[in-house]
Amino acid sequence: MIVAENLTVIKDGRKILQEITFTIADGRWTCLVGPNGAGKTSLLKAILGNSRYDGSLSIDGVERHKDQSINVAYVPQIPSIPQGMSVWEYANLGRAKIDGWGRQSAAGTQLVEEILEQTNLSSLRDQHISRLSGGELQRALIARALAQEPELILLDEPTSALDLHHQIAVLDNIELLKSRGVTIVSTMHDITLAAMYADDLVIMQDGQILLTGASGAVIHSPELKRAFENRINVFTLDSGRPVVVAEKNQRT
Amino acid sequence: MKSPQVWHWRYAAFASLTLFLACLVAISFGPIHLPFFGAMKTLLGLPGGLAGQERTVLLDLRLPRILLAALVGAALSSSGAVYQSVFRNPLADPYLLGAASGAGLGATLALTLHPNTALTPLFAFIGGVVAVLASFFISGKFFAEPATLLLSGIAIGSFFTAIQTYVLQRHSASLRPVYSWILGELTVANWEILRWSSFYILLAIAILIFVSRKLDGLMLSDEEAFSLGINPARLRIIAIGAATLATATAVAAAGLIGFVGIVVPHLVRGLTRRVTNRSILTIAISGAAFLILADFGARTILSPAEVPIGIITAFIGAPFFLIVLRRRRVGG
Repeated sequence: MIVAENLTVIKDGRKILQEITFTIADGRWTCLVGPNGAGKTSLLKAILGNSRYDGSLSIDGVERHKDQSINVAYVPQIPSIPQGMSVWEYANLGRAKIDGWGRQSAAGTQLVEEILEQTNLSSLRDQHISRLSGGELQRALIARALAQEPELILLDEPTSALDLHHQIAVLDNIELLKSRGVTIVSTMHDITLAAMYADDLVIMQDGQILLTGASGAVIHSPELKRAFENRINVFTLDSGRPVVVAEKNQRT
Repeated sequence: MKSPQVWHWRYAAFASLTLFLACLVAISFGPIHLPFFGAMKTLLGLPGGLAGQERTVLLDLRLPRILLAALVGAALSSSGAVYQSVFRNPLADPYLLGAASGAGLGATLALTLHPNTALTPLFAFIGGVVAVLASFFISGKFFAEPATLLLSGIAIGSFFTAIQTYVLQRHSASLRPVYSWILGELTVANWEILRWSSFYILLAIAILIFVSRKLDGLMLSDEEAFSLGINPARLRIIAIGAATLATATAVAAAGLIGFVGIVVPHLVRGLTRRVTNRSILTIAISGAAFLILADFGARTILSPAEVPIGIITAFIGAPFFLIVLRRRRVGG
């Protein structure tokens, strides 16, 4: 369980996160939603343990900056693409934390093969990672994260810059992670997609948390409309799925 | 599919064979031709070896020169490969952080104070290390920002070169020895230079090989590297520190020899089609073979006169550099 109390992150003299308090449950998919600059990525990096913070942030009762032993995978919004590396080698990097750098265990190799199969990358295993399309690259990133066998995975805007078809394919792959009992924390712009896939939503704005709770409850709550200054409407489809639609500003 | 380790040992064995053959060619041929079998017997301490002037040429001139070429080639090529990984830039070279300009200024000051001074390598070494340290401290954010460090290195390099040019203008008598040093000199090789340079270069290459497995992590973003159990800032400092030690020692021992640090890593990558980090040993051995052959060319093309080795490496390196640029543009 991830618990934050009065968590503050300061970067270049500016408070990116302002004394936020929240809890993220194990084995669930929690999605941070909010506009650019809301502090979503900074919160992910704080959970990763790679940034300084004030207040308290712990995973299973262990303060984050004190102990890095927990296996956390991180999928960035804009990945750095290693030159000359094949898809197989790239996915295999995920084994480094468990098998050690430059080493390969038979079990690890077998797992990577299975993961490439599951993420539809088997046919591209010898392709250079720099030559993949956006959707393929995103799948390769998730394959690497799966290979890491993490307890917790952090995904920064995993569906940005993808068309709807690929967005759904990637989100399905993230669900695959959840089915293995991994706790997932992701950021997303698209609140409809976030509500469709994630168990819990955390609505953020200006370094603060406006609203948090189960997706169904958050999306239908009046506070959500107020958070967006009453400029959204939430409709429910026949399937029961909620759809959030922005309202155009009326000229007077 | 064969494991990467099997491939790496295979390439390392191939590079070693090339190095061995390059040594055999370089030992025998030169302005003074040495009988091949006689030279081998001398080296192996067998009876019937060379005697007199031929023995002196082999043991005091040619052998130290070949060994220095091998050391300098190994140092520059492995440092180049590491710089390219750390800066995530395939065109990075070992002189990027001002090592060349600093060493150039150090050598210029030494040669201006006293032409033919034995202090030139020491001054060059100190100049190179001071320039890299200055780049580190001025960039300030070197723990987090490789790009800032790179820009700082370029600025420091320009600054040191400006001082060097000013000093040279004021002391035009030292123009020729400095110019000769800048083009690279393996003619100065002797056992004394080999003794101290081999210690630093072999130590640095051992460190680079030791950390090379983790260098793949630096090709990812810092957050990804961190999630895979790497401290990116610390690894960057160790890698750049060792690469700088190798580069500064190579420059101090043999002057500025350009393009080796770019040509050899890309050549190995082109042949193996694999990430260079995991092939540092192969790259170091290939660099040694490359510079021995380049020096062989420098000694024999206009024999008995010598072509500065920097001209040979640049003559091969410059077109190669353009091919890399072009392939990078096409490959994306």
